[in-house]
Amino acid sequence: MIKTVNLQKLFSTEEVETTALNGINMEIQDGEFVAIMGPSGCGKSTLLNILGLLDNPSAGEYYFWDKEVARMSERQRAQLRKGSIGFVFQSFNLIDELTVFENVELPLLYLKVPSQERKQKVEQVLERMNIMHRRNHFPQQLSGGQQQRVAIARAVVAKPKMILADEPTGNLDSTNGEEVMKLLQELNDAGTTMVMVTHSPYDAGFAHRIINLFDGRVVTENIKEQFHV
Amino acid sequence: MFRNYIKIAWRNLRKSKLLTGVNVLGLAIAFAACILLVLTAWRELSFDQFHTNKGRLQELYITVQRPEGEESRSNFPIPLTPALKQDFPEVKAASRFIAISGSIRYHDKTFQADVKSADADLLKMFSFPLIKGEMHQPLNSLSNVVITANMAKKIFGAEDAINKPVEIYLEGEWKSFIVSAVAKDIPDNSTISFDVVCRFENTPGYVSQKDDWGASSNEVFVQLADHATVAGFERRSGTFVNKYFTAILRDLKRDGVAPGKDGQLMSLHLMPITTIHFNSISSSGGAISKTYPYLLLLIGGFILFIACVNFMNLTIAAAFSRSREIGMRKILGAVKTQLVTQLWGEAVLICLLALVTGLVIAYLLLPGYNALFSNKLSLALLKSPGLLAGVLLGFVLVTLLSGGYPAWAIAKINTLKVLKGSLQAGKSNGLRNVLMVTQFVISSLLICCTLIAWQQLDYLRKMPLGYNRDQVISIPLPYEMDTEQALQRMRNSLSGQTGIAAISGAAINMGRGRDGASQSSIIAMDYKGHSVRSNWLRVDYDYVKALGLTLLAGRDFSQAYGTDSSGLVINEKMAAQLGGVQAALGVQLPVLDSAHPLTVIGVVKDFNFKPLKEDIAPLTMNLVKSWPVQYIFVKVAPGDLQGSMALVKKQWKQLYPGSDIDPSFLDENTDRQYRREQRYSGIFISAAILAIIISCMGLFAISVLVMTRRTREIGVRKVLGASVIGIVALVSKDFVKLVLLSVMIAAPIAWYVMDQWLQDYAYRIHINITVFVAAGGIALLVAVLTVSIQSVRAALMNPIKSIRTE
Ligand SMILES: Nc1ncnc2c1ncn2[C@@H]1O[C@H](COP(=O)(O)OP(=O)(O)OP(=O)(O)O)[C@@H](O)[C@H]1O
Ligand SMILES: [Mg+2]
Repeated sequence: MIKTVNLQKLFSTEEVETTALNGINMEIQDGEFVAIMGPSGCGKSTLLNILGLLDNPSAGEYYFWDKEVARMSERQRAQLRKGSIGFVFQSFNLIDELTVFENVELPLLYLKVPSQERKQKVEQVLERMNIMHRRNHFPQQLSGGQQQRVAIARAVVAKPKMILADEPTGNLDSTNGEEVMKLLQELNDAGTTMVMVTHSPYDAGFAHRIINLFDGRVVTENIKEQFHV
Repeated sequence: MFRNYIKIAWRNLRKSKLLTGVNVLGLAIAFAACILLVLTAWRELSFDQFHTNKGRLQELYITVQRPEGEESRSNFPIPLTPALKQDFPEVKAASRFIAISGSIRYHDKTFQADVKSADADLLKMFSFPLIKGEMHQPLNSLSNVVITANMAKKIFGAEDAINKPVEIYLEGEWKSFIVSAVAKDIPDNSTISFDVVCRFENTPGYVSQKDDWGASSNEVFVQLADHATVAGFERRSGTFVNKYFTAILRDLKRDGVAPGKDGQLMSLHLMPITTIHFNSISSSGGAISKTYPYLLLLIGGFILFIACVNFMNLTIAAAFSRSREIGMRKILGAVKTQLVTQLWGEAVLICLLALVTGLVIAYLLLPGYNALFSNKLSLALLKSPGLLAGVLLGFVLVTLLSGGYPAWAIAKINTLKVLKGSLQAGKSNGLRNVLMVTQFVISSLLICCTLIAWQQLDYLRKMPLGYNRDQVISIPLPYEMDTEQALQRMRNSLSGQTGIAAISGAAINMGRGRDGASQSSIIAMDYKGHSVRSNWLRVDYDYVKALGLTLLAGRDFSQAYGTDSSGLVINEKMAAQLGGVQAALGVQLPVLDSAHPLTVIGVVKDFNFKPLKEDIAPLTMNLVKSWPVQYIFVKVAPGDLQGSMALVKKQWKQLYPGSDIDPSFLDENTDRQYRREQRYSGIFISAAILAIIISCMGLFAISVLVMTRRTREIGVRKVLGASVIGIVALVSKDFVKLVLLSVMIAAPIAWYVMDQWLQDYAYRIHINITVFVAAGGIALLVAVLTVSIQSVRAALMNPIKSIRTE
């Protein structure tokens, strides 16, 4: 479903030039659960951003559903991204001024989903994330685990084909982390492609396949169990 | 510690260059504007304050109840002043005062000069110090004159002026005088002014009118005795009026006039010399209404307030982002007062920077400002202790308000909260919003008011006045000339020339000519048992034709009729007093003496012979030679107006090679009537623009801060699919709401204020709702543009960057 060929990313600041990605070749199938691991600064987040169409690579090719998107304009990427990719961040990135319900509703608003349908979908997903009773709270009034559940709810409410998660358990204790991982696994079981960056070998254990990055290169790929398409 | 403070302050200023820049620049502009406005107001308010006796000096005025209503004036019969001195122990000194000539001659050189006549008391009452010559009784002799140093230099150059013979043009001839003393130049903030002053007995018509209580001409200034009061004087003045104004009182009673509030038909009053500049009853004073200087101060305050609010909002916001530093300081043992001092000190530093910049800006702008608004201001005025104290006080207030409050607000915050970083800039926006609304209320108010004032002035300028303005040239005639002869000669040489349609003359100009003069005289007479009052205007043949007036009945003055020297042409208002347009024709009026009545030969449609502030009054035009012609009017053909002007000037030069004239088209003259209003509306418009600019600078800075705070939110929204336009709308919405609210608050206030102002005008516009829509539109547009700069930038930002900012 997605495929990269010799993907490169260079960051040039005034003083230094950093090669964050240095020739990434990878392929992710529909319905796969992939974990990306590697030491800090090896380019995991950078890769995820490019996979999520938030950023363009400096060189190389990127096929998103067989479509070359590496050199698309910001607008085209935004159009493609809308509704097809969900994001989960380590620091939740909820909007403090909006309630739980409103946060989750946001992607649907931007997809111009009618209000009745919106309400129904949001409630459904909040129910599923077990956060319905907090629907009128503001993010600051929730625990970290609850906040991350809201963030996941927001990521899946539009039923994207793929969810990209950057250290989703990074800010959580193990109990809450476990819960979040279970949720992600459930979503994957239901058919959503899952790409997750993590430092935790335990979390990586939920994935079908682990891609190890070092200095912007793929060093190893461990296939945990045979994956059937 | 202090060095540490300065270091931190300096780093903070440099770290946020944009915000510091906005802060300093906004405040500096406000300071500069404020200084200019305060100087202008100060100058107006300083009028006549320099007299040592100012507490005792008064100008006399009289209030008379008339059938048309109450009338107050400051012109009096010649014999009143001697009677006043005799009858009132309260009057320590008194002087009559009147302008008598415009020309003075030394040997063969003639100079323009403001020649006044006055009683000898004048120089003792007022502080016009003498610097040379007879210091004690300079006006002892009828043939003495006192001249100012400047005039002396103009006439005599380096020579000593004392005892030099000069001649003054009076009643058609040159009269000889001797310079007895030289006075210090009169300050330009003096209402009473002269270049040359001589004894009052030299006033034209003095001999024939010195016992005439019916005519009114000169002003009267009075110095009260040390223990006398104005109230005491006014109480006793009833007897005086009854004793001397018997004839007028009898007529008023006969006409059934109701007494005024004080129960009197006529009463004498005093106004302090320090108020005559603002009192339109005074013939010398009344230059402006007293509200204007205070309005200037108010607007200056507004502008400063707006800049202060910017400062406050920014300091508060910036300080919240420094909460870690402040929290750490608290943990290390700083007490609240130390923190307040530190933060307030930073504000003082910025204010000081702004004040210096503001002074420089004011200094640079002053020449242009003076030229634009014909003022004579100088920053040297700031040296006067009162003003200096005021400016310093203002400065301290500004620093206290803009720096002190935020300092206190931040310093009192709970340390733990600060450290946890759970406080964010602009979290509680209540105060900020109130302040911003106030700013925009003030700005919108100024915009609305200036728009309305501008419309009114434009309306006055464009209003048809009933006479032709753009094709009529008015020529003020030199004082010392035989003006009747000049008119005749110009008539002969111009008539028949191409481009010249008609030539006439009058004693009074239309509008305000380049000589600045605008006066009028009023006559009263009995007609069929009731008294008739009318403006009295000496004109000349073809006046109706030359000014393009509309005849309703009868005819214009014409040389073809031998009898027109005893004819009158009146306006509709006057005709109404005589029984109507048709009935008035042929009416004989005993204007001057009953043996030789004057006959109405024509009636013209009403025209605005006075400024539009006043309604059209009855008018009687005549050819009576004892009021000499002072202006020639030439109506020219449309088309080559400037060519006709050149022709007029050329003909004059041929007839009078040695004499200069300064002709102007009447439309220039009528424009000149509103110059004062225009000057002020110019100041107000500039102030309004400044206010909106400074408000928007604040808005801009706030939007920068808000965007910084909301970058993460905007990033998240973009990741979730929001469009650029959607984001701009989202973040602009809050500001737009505030601005709209401000306009809605400002509009009714502006409507009320301007409605009051318009009541002053006999001819006025109706305030139109579109003004408020326009003002709201302007404020909104500017605000949206300002905010958009930031929000578009934020919306275009790469969302990864925004999300990374924690
Ligand atoms: N905007 C940027 N400008 C310059 N360099 C950048 C930028 N973003 C990332 N880098 C650099 O690119 C490299 C990869 O960064 P990236 O954020 O992908 O690391 P990471 O693997 O996600 O690390 P971590 O596990 O700590 O999150 C780093 O060396 C980082 O310094
Ligand atoms: Mg990372």
